[in-house]
Amino acid sequence: MSALLKVENVTMRFGGLVALNDVSLSIDKGAVLAVIGPNGAGKSTLFNVVTGVYRPTSGRVTFDGAEITGRPSYEVVDRGIARTFQSSRLFSDLSVLDNVIIGMHTRTKTGVLDALFRPGASRREMAACVVKAEALLKLGSGDLFEQRYRPAGALAQADRRRLEIARALASQPKLLLLDEPSVGMDDTETDALVADIVRLRAENPELSVVLIEHDMRVVEAFPHHVTCIDYGSKIAEGDFAAVRADPRVQEAYLGKAVAHA
Amino acid sequence: MQGASLAAPGKAAAAAFTIASQLCGAAFLYLILRVDGGWQVIGLLALLGLGFTLLERLPWIADYALASFASVPLVAMITAAVVVLAFPFFVGSNTYILHLLIVAELYAVLALALNFQLGSANIPNFATGASYGIGAYVSALLAINFGVSFWLTLPVAALAATLFGFIIGIPSMRTRDTYLALVTIAFGVVVQQLLNNFSWTGGPNGLVGIPAPSLFGHSFADPLVIFGWKLPSQANFYYLSAALVVVAIVTAHRLHGSRIGLAWNALRADEIAAKAQGINVAWFKVLAFAVDAFLAAFAGTIYAFYVSYISPDNFTFLVSVTIMTMVIVGGMDNIFGVIVGAFLLTILPEKLRAFADYRLLFFGVVIIGFLMIRPQGLFPQRMRRYGGDL
Repeated sequence: MSALLKVENVTMRFGGLVALNDVSLSIDKGAVLAVIGPNGAGKSTLFNVVTGVYRPTSGRVTFDGAEITGRPSYEVVDRGIARTFQSSRLFSDLSVLDNVIIGMHTRTKTGVLDALFRPGASRREMAACVVKAEALLKLGSGDLFEQRYRPAGALAQADRRRLEIARALASQPKLLLLDEPSVGMDDTETDALVADIVRLRAENPELSVVLIEHDMRVVEAFPHHVTCIDYGSKIAEGDFAAVRADPRVQEAYLGKAVAHA
Repeated sequence: MQGASLAAPGKAAAAAFTIASQLCGAAFLYLILRVDGGWQVIGLLALLGLGFTLLERLPWIADYALASFASVPLVAMITAAVVVLAFPFFVGSNTYILHLLIVAELYAVLALALNFQLGSANIPNFATGASYGIGAYVSALLAINFGVSFWLTLPVAALAATLFGFIIGIPSMRTRDTYLALVTIAFGVVVQQLLNNFSWTGGPNGLVGIPAPSLFGHSFADPLVIFGWKLPSQANFYYLSAALVVVAIVTAHRLHGSRIGLAWNALRADEIAAKAQGINVAWFKVLAFAVDAFLAAFAGTIYAFYVSYISPDNFTFLVSVTIMTMVIVGGMDNIFGVIVGAFLLTILPEKLRAFADYRLLFFGVVIIGFLMIRPQGLFPQRMRRYGGDL
């Protein structure tokens, strides 16, 4: 089976700083890839390269058979990659419902002239978006649906993370990039998050997910493909048990054992 | 909660409230246009201030009003139409009041135009006055030199200004916030200076003798006779401008309710997140410039044909700042608020003439006062509601 997303030898330099150094990875349709690594290792930079926020210094990104290296974000979303942000970036003065509807931007078509001269079509499109958005809000854990007319900025931390995921799903992605979705969640909420991702995959067997995570309980739930990045370089990949046992990974997280010996 | 029972008015109560509130608004407008003495103006302003203080303290009033208007939209629209159509009959032969109303209507259109940028997308555009001027000059030049009819110059001027909107919009995309504001200020000043220096625009003397438009053989320079009532010639332009305000409201309403309005709101809130939702941020910003210029040019055309004489002084940087103040005081991204802001800021300086030398000082104090009472604008933006959910 050919890979859905392929990152080949990507290097990203900011002046003298090498944020990503010759990183390659790939993910198949319907798979979950967990990307781990210490803070500042370059995980979020990887997402930014994939989604077109940054153009890599060298290397290629291909998605669904087409090269998307350095393509603008709106095109990448249109092709089927949706993401969430590490520090939630919601449209805080808009309602929860509006946030999700904005997520459907690439799946709706009304232009200025349509909105002005075919108001009926524009209204029907919005009405359809509302129905879909409400369905998305009812799906996940939490009570986002009941809070749909609250401003997104007024939500509790866990609800913000859930809303980011709902907004990302609104674009009907083939690939979902989740940047530390469990940040700010307690244990119960994290379990609900894992259950949400599991359910999501059961409902959309085609959907691929890349997870950046620090919480090993989340990574443990999706143990088949794990990649560890440290100082911009990939230092290990494999299943969770293998990566966890890798001495270089332990060193990256816990420091060198040499000091002990 | 006190508001819970009040938030769902019956049809009859809603209709009564809708009609009564609009008549009160019209009566207030009539009074403030009529009074002359300093104390009377202060009294009316105090009344207005009290009203907005109540609105700020008791938010359920706004909820109740919105629910009422939403439950009987037809009654609301018919009342509004009757008020707007009947107003000149009460004003009678007072051409000064009619003139103020026309200017206020044109400013309402300009403020609604700027609201697409400043209110919806948070783009500080200080060049609305320039678009307004381009509309006025293009139509005036066409009418004077080629005898083109007013009705034909309207779309031509609007298209010319839209082109200008694109021209300033595209390079502006390289900057943001304060720098973007500077770029638009520069554009506004450049346009005004060009109008001042070209010989074919009449230079500082401007353009004189713009012919009055006519419709079905009725010249807009003649008095308007309706059912034996004779209204001064200004009434022609009053109704024309009112029609333009309606066009602007419909445009604003439709764009606000579509995915375009949402996209603008998204990039106002967080540009990076907007990009991640697949919004072509640069394109939507340029679009906001274009829509702004398009509507502003309509207002410019009507203004040119109304006063029949235009000069670069009519389209200075100060005009752009005034329009911006109207949007901010009235309420960003709130159509009704922006219109109220435009009327208030047009009429107020005229009414404060009673204070002679202290006029502008007093004007500033009043504006600051209103912003202290309503920091988010007189009528702040509201969440969108869908499918009758309230």
